[in-house]
Amino acid sequence: MAHFEIKDLTFSYPAAKGKRSLEDVCLSIKKGEYIVLCGKSGSGKTTLLRHLKSVLAPHGKRGGEILFNGVPLEKVSQRDQSAKIGYVMQDPDDQIVTDKVWHELAFGLESLGCDQKTMRARVAEMACYFGIGDWFHRDVANLSGGQKQLLNLASIMAMQPEVLILDEPTSQLDPIAASDFLNTVRKINLELGTTVIITEHRLEDIFPYADRAIVMDGGKVIADDTPRRIGKLLYEQGSDMFSAMPTPVRVFYGAGGEGECPLTVREGRNWLSRVFPEAPGVSSFPAEDLAEEVADPALLLKELWFRYEKDSPDILRGVSAEVATGSLYAIVGGNGAGKSTTLKAICGICKPYRGKVKVFGKPVEKYKSGELFHGCLAMLPQDPKSLFVKKTVREDLEEMTRDKALIEQIAATCQITELLDSHPYDLSGGEQQRAALAKVLLTKPRLLLLDEPTKGIDSFFKETFAAILGQLKEQGITIVMVSHDVEFCARYADRVSMFFDGQILTTDTPRRFFGSNSFYTTAANRMSRHVFQNAVTAGDVVELYKRNREG
Amino acid sequence: MGFESYHPAIALIWSVGTIAATVLFKQPVFLVIAYLSAFLYSVKRNGWRAVAFGVGLIPFILAFTLYYSSYHHFGVTVLRQNMIGNDMTVESALCGLTIGILVASVVMWLSCVISVFTADKVVYLFGRVSPRLSLFLSILLRLVPRLKARARKIATARKAVGKGIGQGNILQRIANGVKIVSMLVTWLLESMATTSDSMRSRGYGLKGRTAFSIYRFDDRDRSVVIGLFACLTSMLMAYILGWTQIRFDPRVVMAPITPVAHVFYFGFALFCLLPMVLEVWSEQRFRALRSRV
Repeated sequence: MAHFEIKDLTFSYPAAKGKRSLEDVCLSIKKGEYIVLCGKSGSGKTTLLRHLKSVLAPHGKRGGEILFNGVPLEKVSQRDQSAKIGYVMQDPDDQIVTDKVWHELAFGLESLGCDQKTMRARVAEMACYFGIGDWFHRDVANLSGGQKQLLNLASIMAMQPEVLILDEPTSQLDPIAASDFLNTVRKINLELGTTVIITEHRLEDIFPYADRAIVMDGGKVIADDTPRRIGKLLYEQGSDMFSAMPTPVRVFYGAGGEGECPLTVREGRNWLSRVFPEAPGVSSFPAEDLAEEVADPALLLKELWFRYEKDSPDILRGVSAEVATGSLYAIVGGNGAGKSTTLKAICGICKPYRGKVKVFGKPVEKYKSGELFHGCLAMLPQDPKSLFVKKTVREDLEEMTRDKALIEQIAATCQITELLDSHPYDLSGGEQQRAALAKVLLTKPRLLLLDEPTKGIDSFFKETFAAILGQLKEQGITIVMVSHDVEFCARYADRVSMFFDGQILTTDTPRRFFGSNSFYTTAANRMSRHVFQNAVTAGDVVELYKRNREG
Repeated sequence: MGFESYHPAIALIWSVGTIAATVLFKQPVFLVIAYLSAFLYSVKRNGWRAVAFGVGLIPFILAFTLYYSSYHHFGVTVLRQNMIGNDMTVESALCGLTIGILVASVVMWLSCVISVFTADKVVYLFGRVSPRLSLFLSILLRLVPRLKARARKIATARKAVGKGIGQGNILQRIANGVKIVSMLVTWLLESMATTSDSMRSRGYGLKGRTAFSIYRFDDRDRSVVIGLFACLTSMLMAYILGWTQIRFDPRVVMAPITPVAHVFYFGFALFCLLPMVLEVWSEQRFRALRSRV
């Protein structure tokens, strides 16, 4: 018997004027399956997942049927649904209810009315299984994002659910925490046999382990197959979703490979070794010139030292950098290394106790307070929501300037013209990011600072975002961004810097930078480095592959 | 090791007991016992800050005595007349002094109680009364640091586009400040919507909610409870039998200090100082054990 049986599910939101968010969705999910649900933002993934639990199901017009263990979902009691269907949401912080880790773990059990003895045993079990023992007594406020999301998972697992539904659980986490989290989910599926239904942008981490991938577009299921075959389907359909596939898949089909499609870097390497048993004729792109002295830098950092408190450790320990005017400069590096602090130091929010910041040749402290943030520099914060004040995007933009023509122009650049009358909180992550960018651009900055701009955005929106950045660069705007997103930086940055231990260690072009790293580099590079020397993006690998096969 | 490591119920009995007794027992010996033990224990818990605080209270006690005796004129032993011709009496001065010391003791006790009662103890105790109430308390406790963090985040983000609280002319600054508050409210509502989804998704609202606790009532707690109740009994007897009373109007009449009364003094002192005795004792023992290793 199927665990979940979805029959002809259609749904439309009341405000959508008949436009359907889900259309004739038919799915059957077996017990113990691991299912990846993918699709662009707004393709109906979240709407579908929410229908799988009655209390979360959105209001609207609905048709069709959902069976859980053969019983219509509406007939399954609230108590059973709470315990048996676990649901992890996107934002780690908002989901946590109580102030202590131990209390949060017990929250679901308290609701079910378990007695002390059962709760103690279950909570202890969960704390051990998830490695929470060390921070069991802590305040939730002191946890990292990854720990918070793990806590959410653990507190749901304490109720011993049969199905675990996860709606983009890692979109707010850094790559290391994200892959830890996904490994734990996989472990639960393997060791406990819990059915897992997950939506996720980071397909590289879960595709190889999933039993089935379901692709949605415009509220419809457009593909439902094993991960190995789904790439081919999407490639043949010419779907937008193909760009979200893991690098090995994209390289394989992009290059027109034959046989079984590789899913992991290891399989990709083996495939390339089979294709090129001997060193290929063209094994690298021509060497680029060494990074030369920047003649007239837009931004100059010279040995910045900074600490937050008098007695706290130094966060910045001699940061130096030069950013050429009109370039996209990316700073990559681990969590808590001081990347965001560097941005704050550039715009004078943090004042370094030693060192110099020069913006367009003038020390930042010499700017008058109004002058710096009008027509000179501006920063896009990590969380775009911290910029929105008004009820519609248009009003929000009007807060920055009265110039209607400029608003129209920048809205067009950021591709948010159709969204101008929506509430900023109703937009998807990628749309919010662009609306916030528009707002920041209205201060007419010549130097734009971006803090983790690709966090929580799907691959399709990332491409749109990159195109916007390209346009801005053409207008002569200099862009400095800090990011965890190695793939994005490799593809779009002009210079990449490695930030570690409060310093910028190396700076180079993406090709030289990632080409010389062997761990901290892109999947495409890891997959091809034994054959090609400096291919860092999927496109690079495909190009070299084709040159060798055709030439 | 400290008193906070005992079961929350014990902290509750002790806190309520000491503060109630301090307020009710006005006889000078009891008053002095309460005052001194409050001072001692607050110093034990809070260190030098408590010494400064305790000493800082003394001028207030004296000031209150002066204020009280200048406005209340009962009593028969006239000291002198004040400038508008009213009598200043020994009785009203003593009464003022008593109230002053009493209030100072209560304030010092409160500083001890706050350090003994961590937030999760309060949540636990409410949970015994109503699981729902304790949950709301817990949500509230989580909200405060979150709001602070969020406010900081928004303020930074706004500053970096030239709309910070400290940017622009005064009118703009006020407007920017107001906007930050409004953003906080919007964010809070949005975030609470998700939280409520997460709560309902985990069965909030089902009948028969229970409250989980990490506390265990063990033998150590039991023996302390017995001790506390023995002291409480003696205190109750002292109160009923009138050993704790004093009158100031028209002249000072107080329960005499007799050999029997010493039993009650001892009982009260023990009750007040029990947490301190337990703490000192366990620290001593720990030190002794460690030195043997």
